[in-house]
Amino acid sequence: MSMAEWASTDFEAMRVIKKWKSRLALWVGQITLYVLRLIGRRGTSLPGFLAYRLSPDLLFNLLTQLDTCVFVTGTNGKTTTSALLYSILSDEKNLWLTNKDGANLMQGLLAAFLPHVTATGRLGLRKAILEVDEATLPRITERFHPTMVVVTNVVRDQLDRYGEVDQALAMLRQGISYPGIQLITNADDPLAASLGIERELTSFYGMDEVLQDTQTRNEVRDGAFCLMCGQEIEYSHTIYGQFGHYHCPNGDFTRPTPDYGGILRANDASLIVRWRKRNTEVEQFAVPSPVIGLYNYYNLLAAVATACTLGISTRKIVEAVTVYEAPLGRMQVYAGTPERILALIKNPAGANSVLRTIETDSRAKAVCFAINDADADGRDVSWLWDIDLESFLATAVCDRYFCAGHRALDMALRLLYAGVQRKQIEILDALSDVVKATESLDVPVYVLSTYTALYPLGTYLREASR
Amino acid sequence: MSEVKIRLGHLFPELLNLYADQGNIAVLKRRAALRNILLEVTPIKLGNELKVEDFDLLLLGGGSDREQAIVGKELAPYREDLQAAIEANMPILAICGGYQLLGKFYELANGERIPGLRLVDMETKPGHGRLIGNIAIEWMAQNESSKELTIVGFENHGGRTYHDYPALGKVLKGHGNNGRDHLEGLQYKSLIGTYIHGPLLPKNPHLADAILRYALNYRGHFSLLEALDDQLEWDAHHAVLQELLGNKKYARVRQRLC
Ligand SMILES: [Zn+2]
Repeated sequence: MSMAEWASTDFEAMRVIKKWKSRLALWVGQITLYVLRLIGRRGTSLPGFLAYRLSPDLLFNLLTQLDTCVFVTGTNGKTTTSALLYSILSDEKNLWLTNKDGANLMQGLLAAFLPHVTATGRLGLRKAILEVDEATLPRITERFHPTMVVVTNVVRDQLDRYGEVDQALAMLRQGISYPGIQLITNADDPLAASLGIERELTSFYGMDEVLQDTQTRNEVRDGAFCLMCGQEIEYSHTIYGQFGHYHCPNGDFTRPTPDYGGILRANDASLIVRWRKRNTEVEQFAVPSPVIGLYNYYNLLAAVATACTLGISTRKIVEAVTVYEAPLGRMQVYAGTPERILALIKNPAGANSVLRTIETDSRAKAVCFAINDADADGRDVSWLWDIDLESFLATAVCDRYFCAGHRALDMALRLLYAGVQRKQIEILDALSDVVKATESLDVPVYVLSTYTALYPLGTYLREASR
Repeated sequence: MSEVKIRLGHLFPELLNLYADQGNIAVLKRRAALRNILLEVTPIKLGNELKVEDFDLLLLGGGSDREQAIVGKELAPYREDLQAAIEANMPILAICGGYQLLGKFYELANGERIPGLRLVDMETKPGHGRLIGNIAIEWMAQNESSKELTIVGFENHGGRTYHDYPALGKVLKGHGNNGRDHLEGLQYKSLIGTYIHGPLLPKNPHLADAILRYALNYRGHFSLLEALDDQLEWDAHHAVLQELLGNKKYARVRQRLC
């Protein structure tokens, strides 16, 4: 046998081994999924974990079978944006694949595919909308190029996982660096927008007009520096956190004019979208908001921009958004006495926008913080000190605070140093105490929770509301 | 009664704000105010002139590698002034990136060296993986009246720091300066460098008071700081300490150090 023949059989053998390894991974994943379902356990990461361990190639085999694939990434709003998009895009006639539970690492993505694959490895669906972790994005796109990547924003988040903002930005830039990928990103966020400057196949969305509040805010603004020259960026208009209308004083970096401009006239109004088309034609339409909070309007705008870019009619977008139901932690209201409202907080920018939404409720109120520090919450609780509680205290009518969760004491200290009196702060031993501790109150209770406390709290609040 | 004043210079808050340093300032401010001391905070931003003699206390926080490099360049012209102030016992609190900046250089994983301020003979080199997690140390405080001698917080750094000065403390749990010699931070006169944030001061009121006292002494006031009600602070401190050390070790440490 010649050397060339040797090499080619070797190659052929490798290919066959790889194929069967990937098939085996599929079966193991599917059988595990089936067994777990039989015993009534859903939503565990085990099937994806096992399948991915056996064959990382399987995920790429499946991805390449898609005709259309949209990735949603960025620091905040991935889950809401993907969920909104899914509800716009997917219906019985035209089903899309998605990772609804927000498991956005390699194994989580694979798990989302498993129920839709035949035993021979054929994928039943042709389109997918997937939430993807920022660090995972470049690891996927080096082998598979999606149709579209949506980058919602780039803010400081869970630093103990990634190191620093610069690194997150570098990973995203790498992730979208391949030709043919349509990028949709946030013009109002200088860091996210920097990804799209001078890039082909890029659409921007951003708020053209937002109701202004006069309070000056002491928030940490990430990326307040020009990435071209290092000069501090100037804002002519701040919206929240680092979002706004900005420019570098040296003129080398300016907020791009959004292709999809949003107009928000009141905090619970419809979002007016001004779509500036390539042929300079402008189409304007109003989208009802199924979610409250300024940050959620950004998610809505991102979803609308992506749907329009995919060619979905504005009529269909409006219809789908009207019947959309928000996932847990997006300011669910649990009726009762008292009324309780549940919101997810996971970083300062997100927490600040939740607080700003609460400020718009002029009633007297109580606030409960449930702070955990498991991996999914971020183990470092420093971020509590970056929340702009001081301007909340100055604006909102609130004299009762409750702290629960594993880091209740850290939160209590944060409140104390923000100027809350010690006697106004009650520390709760368990999450299940939240209902009891607040049941005699005659004011609404806003419950702000980190990720791992959210689901237990959702259950307690729902039961109390019956 | 004439009010005593401490002038705090916050160096480059727009760049070095990675680990909630305003938390440290909030703590210093409140603990000063409760003793009728006014803590006046001046942010020193890029391009501002730094007059070291205008301050009694400086705070240098943490930032990304890029931001640290910018700050290093910006502070270089003030090296001599800073060195003289340190020798005269001016307190400086430098955290994470700010701590690394005190030394000769900070070497990145790609071999590039970000020059430091050379205020102390100290080097920071890259290592395998980041050192991340909750940390507790035994405070090797000199001349401290505090009966509590533990410090708790969170660390998150890629660099490994080496020096021969007294450390801020011995690691009880966590990584510390370099993950090898079980030491954390540095103290030279009233200069304190540390990787501990979380932020550092809210759960460590004894350390916050020590820093206030350094600043008062530097300014020529030698009166004692009256004790405050720190129940919540210590509850939070001990909750972290106990969980981190486990019940057995916590009981031993508590007997010895608290
Ligand atoms: Zn510039």
